[in-house]
Amino acid sequence: MSEKSKHDKNQTIEEKLIEDLKSKLGTTVNYQKERRLWMTIDPDLIVETCTKAYELGFEHLSTISVTDWLKEGKHEVTYHLWSYTHNHLLTIKTKIDRKSPKISSINSIWGGNAETCERECHELFGVKFEGNPNLTPLFLEDWDGPPPFLKDFNWREFVKKEMYDQNNPREKVYFEVKK
Amino acid sequence: MITKKKVMKKFVKAIWVFNWFNSCGFSELIPVVGSRWDMERFGLVAVNSPRKADALFIAGYQTPKSMKRAQQIYEQMPSPKFVFAMGSCTMTGGMYWDSYNTVKRIEDYVPVFMYIPGCPPRPEAIFDAVHKVVVHVDELPDE
Repeated sequence: MSEKSKHDKNQTIEEKLIEDLKSKLGTTVNYQKERRLWMTIDPDLIVETCTKAYELGFEHLSTISVTDWLKEGKHEVTYHLWSYTHNHLLTIKTKIDRKSPKISSINSIWGGNAETCERECHELFGVKFEGNPNLTPLFLEDWDGPPPFLKDFNWREFVKKEMYDQNNPREKVYFEVKK
Repeated sequence: MITKKKVMKKFVKAIWVFNWFNSCGFSELIPVVGSRWDMERFGLVAVNSPRKADALFIAGYQTPKSMKRAQQIYEQMPSPKFVFAMGSCTMTGGMYWDSYNTVKRIEDYVPVFMYIPGCPPRPEAIFDAVHKVVVHVDELPDE
C-alpha cells in the first residue's frame, strides 16, 4: 500500500470515529491534530460522558489535570483518555466555578487510578471531587496553607513569612533578593 | 571505662552508611560507590538496612514528607549514629530556597554531625569529611 492511500485510509477511520463519538456522546468532538480529539462538556455530565467513552473503547485514564483561569473565575478540569483499540487520545474539558470548585468523582469507572489523580488535583488546586472516599494529601503532608498551585497564591511571600526568620544571620540574605 | 574516644574509635574503624538520597542527590553521588573513587577502600560500605548502619547520608532536597521517613530511619539506627548532610539543597533548600515544600533547616529535624557543602559535593569532599572524623577521634582525650 502506498503512503498516500494509507494516509487516506487512516483519515476515513478517524472521521468514522469522530462521527461515532458525536452520535453517542451527544456533543461536538473537535479534531485537534492527528490522533488527538478534544471535546468540551458541562461539568454535570462528566460521569455520564466518561462511562460512554469507556464503553466506546477509551478504557485508559492517562491523567486528570486542572488549569486555573484567574480572570475568568473558572477552573478547567481536563481528563485525558487513551484508547488501545482506536489508538486515539480523547481529551474531555470542563469548566467549574473557581470559588466553590466541585465536581463528581469518576472513581466508579477507573477506581484507584482516578482516585490518585483526583487526590493530586485536590491538594494542589483545592478542587473537591464528590464521591471520592480518600482525598488525603498526596505530597503535602502537614500543609496548612492555601492550595499552592492557585494563580493568586504568592508562594514567595508565603515562604518568607512562614519559613524564614529575618533576624537569623544565615537567613537574612533571602530578604535582600531583588524581585 | 567506656570513653567517648573508645566508642568513636569503633565508629571510624569502618563506617557503614545508609543512604537517604532524594532526586539528583542520588545520581550525583553514585560515583562515590563506583570503581573510580571507590569508597570501600576507606571502609565505607553502603548497607541495605538502617540497623547495620553507623552513618546516615542525606542528600538532595528534602520535603517535610521525606524528612519524616528520614527520622524513622534515624531512630532505627543503633548508637553511635551520625548524620551527614550533603549538598546545599539538603542543608538550606539550595536553589529551591523559595519553594513552599522544601526543608529549610535540616537541623530542626535530625541532629546533623557534619555538613558537606557543594552542588553536588565532590567525592573528594565526602572523603575529606570522613577523614576529618578520623582525625577528630584521634585527637580526642581518652578519659
